[in-house]
Formats: sequence, C-alpha cells, structure tokens
Amino acid sequence: MDTLNELLNGFAAAMTWQNLLFAFLGCLLGTIIGVLPGIGPVAGVALLIPLTLNLDATGAIIMLCAIFYGTAYGGTITSVLLNTPGEAASAITTIDGYAMTKIGKAGAALTIAAVGSFVGGTVATIGLVAAAKPLGELGLLVGPPEFFALMVVGISLLVALAGKSMVKAVISGALGLLIAMVGIDPVAGAPRFTFGMDRLLDGVSFVAVIVGVFGLSELLSYRKDTATPTVHAPNLRSLLPTRGEWRRSAPAMARGTGIGFGLGLIPGMTGSVSSLLAYGAEKKFSRHRHELGKGAIEGVAGPETANNSHANAALIPLFTLGIPASPTIAVLMGAFLQQGLTPGPTLFTEHSEIAWAIIASLFIGNLLLLLLNVPLVGLWTSILRVPSSILTALILLFMVIGAYTINFSVFDVFVMIGFGLLGLALRHLDIPLAPMVLTLVLGPLMERSLRESLEISQGDFSIFTSRPISAVLIGLGLLIVFSPLLKLRKPKALNEDPET
Amino acid sequence: MTTKSVTTAPKSTVRVAPSVLAGIGAFAAVGAYVLVTSIDLGLWTSLGPGPGLFPFAMGAVLVAMAVVWLLQELRRPSETAEGVDLGLVIAVVLSLVILAAVMDLIGFQLGMFLFLMYHLKLRGRRGWPSSVITALAGSFGAFYAFNYGLNVSLPVSAFPLLNTIGL
Repeated sequence: MDTLNELLNGFAAAMTWQNLLFAFLGCLLGTIIGVLPGIGPVAGVALLIPLTLNLDATGAIIMLCAIFYGTAYGGTITSVLLNTPGEAASAITTIDGYAMTKIGKAGAALTIAAVGSFVGGTVATIGLVAAAKPLGELGLLVGPPEFFALMVVGISLLVALAGKSMVKAVISGALGLLIAMVGIDPVAGAPRFTFGMDRLLDGVSFVAVIVGVFGLSELLSYRKDTATPTVHAPNLRSLLPTRGEWRRSAPAMARGTGIGFGLGLIPGMTGSVSSLLAYGAEKKFSRHRHELGKGAIEGVAGPETANNSHANAALIPLFTLGIPASPTIAVLMGAFLQQGLTPGPTLFTEHSEIAWAIIASLFIGNLLLLLLNVPLVGLWTSILRVPSSILTALILLFMVIGAYTINFSVFDVFVMIGFGLLGLALRHLDIPLAPMVLTLVLGPLMERSLRESLEISQGDFSIFTSRPISAVLIGLGLLIVFSPLLKLRKPKALNEDPET
Repeated sequence: MTTKSVTTAPKSTVRVAPSVLAGIGAFAAVGAYVLVTSIDLGLWTSLGPGPGLFPFAMGAVLVAMAVVWLLQELRRPSETAEGVDLGLVIAVVLSLVILAAVMDLIGFQLGMFLFLMYHLKLRGRRGWPSSVITALAGSFGAFYAFNYGLNVSLPVSAFPLLNTIGL
C-alpha cells in the first residue's frame, strides 16, 4: 500500500506541466537520436545532458530517461523503412520489418513495433515498482565489501559479454578505470595522473569523454559520405494492422516482454541480446515460424517488445542497487551524480519524491512515445531526408556545445577531440567501448568501496571472503571471468571453429 | 583440395598488422607508465591502501593483457580492420581544434558560423543559401537559444570591438 501511495505521489509530481513538457521533449529528442544512423543512444544521451544543466533534478532526470527509452523507439523506424537499424537493439527487426515494407505493410509493422514497445516498457516499469522496495531494503544491508563485490560482478558480466575477445574487453575496462582515476584521490586527497595541470584536478569530464569516444569517433569512422536515402513514408491508412496481425502479435509481445525483462536485469546484457533471443523464441514457438524472414509480424513484435522491456528493466539495478547495466544507463548514472543524486538504495530513503516521480514518468513517457510514434511516422522519416553533410555539421555543433557547457571551458572540447581519436583507434583495433564507459562511471565508487573495506579490515583482504554476500558475489565474478577457460576441455574439433 | 593440403597444418602467411602491434605497444607502455607512477603515489599507508594501489593493479592488468593479446596475435593474427578516411579525420579534427582554440577569442557565434560554413560549403559542397541559413541557425540561433532559453552561457568574444556588437 505504501508503494502505491508513493507511486501516486510520484504521478502527481510527474504530471505537473513542466515535467510533462520535459518528458515530451525527451521522447521527441530520443526518437530523433534513434532515427539518426550517425549517433548512438550513449552519445545521444550524453550530448543532451547540457540541455538539462539548469533544470531541477526531477525534471532533468525525467527528460534524460525519456531520451534514453525514446532512442529504442526511434531505432525501429529506420530498421523497418530503410533496412538500416538506427541502433543495435533494432538490428534484428530489419529482417521482417523491411520485408513487410517491401510488401506494403510498413505502417502495420511500425504500429505493432510501437505498441509492443509500449507494452514491454510498461510491464518492465511495473516490475521496477514491485522490485523497488524489497531490493532497496536488501541494498541497505550492503556494506563497502558487498558493494565492491557487486560491482566486480557487474563489470565481470560486461567484460564477459562484451564481444569476441575477453582480453580486449579487459583492456577497455582497465582504460576506463584509469581515466576515472585522473584527479584528486578520493580518500587521501593526493593528485593522480594530472600531469601538473590544474584543470585535471577535478578529473576528466565524463560527458566530454563519452561524447568523444562514442559520438565523435563514430563520425570519424565514416568511410564515405553516405547518400541521402530515398524514404517513402507510409500513409495513415496503412498504419493500422489487421485483426489477424494483432492476434499473431499478442503472444510474441508476451514472450518478448518476459525475455527483455529477465535479461534487462543482468548487468552487461545489451538490448540487442534480448531482441535476438526474442527473435529466436519466435522461430521456435510461433505458429507462423515458417513465415519468419519473409515479413512475419511476429518478427517485429517479439524483438521490439523485448528491447523496450529490456531498456526499462535495466533501470531496476540502477535504481535499487546503483549498478548501471549498460553503457547508456552508465551515462544516465553520470547525470544522476551530476544532479547530486546517488542511484541505489539510499535514493529511496534520501530522495524518495524524486525517485517515485521519475518512476511515474516512465509510465507517462511510454504512453507519450506511443502517441508520438504512430501518427508522426511521416515526420520521423523526413529527418532521414536531411542531407548527411548538414546532419554531420549539426551533430558536430551539438558535440562542441555538449563538451563546452559541462564546465564552461574549451579545455573540455579538447578533451572531447582527444577521446574521439582514442575511440577511433579502439574501434579500428576492434576493442569494445562498452566496458570502458561502465568502468569510467563505476571506477571511483569501486575504488572507494575497496579502500573503505580494506581500512575496516586493516588491510586484510579476507574481508571479501569472510562475509557471506560478498563471498558469493566475488565467487560469481570469478566464475564469469574464468568460465571461458572451460572451453579448453571442449573437443578439438570445436576449438578449431574460430567462433568458439 | 589436394591430400597434402588436408594432411599438413596450414601455415599462416598472415602477419600481425602494424596498427595492431602499435596498439598493443601503446597499451603496454601506458600500463608500464601507470605501474611506475603508482609506486611513487604510494601503494600502502599506515591507514591502509594508498592512492597508488588501485592504479597499480590496473597498470598491471593492462600490461598483462597487452602481453596476452600479443601472444594471441602471434598465434593467429586477427583480420585487419578497414582503414579510416584519413581526409575526413584530418578535416574534422583540425577544424575542431581550430574552433576550440579561437572560441574564447572570437566568441561562439563567429567561430561556430565559420566552422559550420567550412563543413557545409567547402566540405559538404552545399549551396550558398542552405549553407548560410544552417550556419546562422547553428551559430547565432544556438547562442540565443542556449543563453536566453536555457540559461546556459556560451562564450563571447574577448575582443572589445566584437563584444560590443554582441559577438
């Protein structure tokens, strides 16, 4: 009952005209970012942080959350209409979504995707409401050793799932931690890796690093100026799916919601894994599985529901435990910290009104996106008609403003340029960027909890193994990291496969 | 396929790409630098872990991973990634560096206008009307939107003459 009351209070706060406006603007900007192929959700959210600098904490986080899940909707539009995913989680949708476009059913595909996204997002938010109190209370039992162990698990998962090479993922994670260590040491107060520069005493600006590594490096890695695509927006009449399509989509949405929700809770799992598994589930369980790949509505409904369910469920570890489950959530966590809010169990005790207003806004935002997406498909597709040279110039403009306004210093613009080049080098070397951004956010918290733990135990490392929760978590982290060694026991024939 | 080709192990003729070697070397060098610097910072104090402990561990991880990666590359070189468009990289990076260098001197509006004109007219080969309109909106328009709409200050010129005319 308490939870319901707090949620209702949250709705009252989220439904002030200012907060509704912020949610609306966030949805709008998020959809645009999702549509634009040149910029991903991580850089997109980071780029737009300056817009929220002068807002109150509630409004700022409401807007950034709306941008975050708006990108998941936007990515679908280009997948369906252009066979080009706006973001990775929508990649699998291209198969049946584009096939539907070719047979004149683009409108139905987009509507089902929007409804599925709404369903998945809303169910996951209900899960967040249900989990907030119990997980938050559990989180209060967590001391520095458990907190450190929890982050070890989170980072281990991200490293293990980050890509083809675990070595490269570890390098990426270590780089993020080293960048996070630039500045004043959080315990002793000694300057570290500042190279005598006063500007680095406060550390490297998180937003400048993210915009450089994810945004600028993406632009720099373009092979050639892409031609403006020819887009034909579907007319309004074709937006309505048939009764049969609704009937076929419902079970796919249910499966997608479950898969996305379950995987969204696991740090390191990306939305693309959820949508890929949801597609796999349709291939296995759908009554029309033989039509998949040829324009089956299930191939759109399942993955699109899963990736939005995933995006919203991924907020649960952030809100309750303070663990970002993905790079975009890590950027969101950075925005929380910038607003003076520490995500985790204390969020519900120290800033209860703000936390519940943000949760309530997730329901509102999902509804706003549904209302925005279906009738405005024509508008979103017109963004794709803007020539690439203009888009590139405008994205660069926002990058400069984004980097500059964090500290109102051109130094951060140089930092952004430097990290753009680093990001380009990492992409060229096929080093995943996700572990880097996660450790960049978690680094200071992780170091502080490690050092606090060792100070409590007077330097005895057994503090991590003598406490049950941290011992289990550390064991789990080690198991995740060393599980690839089990592959050595596989038959030789399997080892010859480069994919194994 | 001949019998010989099936029975003898294929010899890899692929060499480790120079860019990969350079990357491995760079990571190893950064790791080694961090290792050495961390010792100076202090690994342990009377109160417990020192400021250098965590960086020391990360430096060691970086060096170790660089070595493992090198061994992996020597055993089976990874496929070389596609090269970058060097012209694009130089044009974008250089224009950004110049913009950042002059922004505090000539102000955001003028600096960004010239930056956008370069990318739209010279690099993008857009027509004059669309270049000028977009550059005006992105420089003067963005300045007013951020300064007065969002209360986020963008830099004005350090030159009194430019400053007095609102730039």
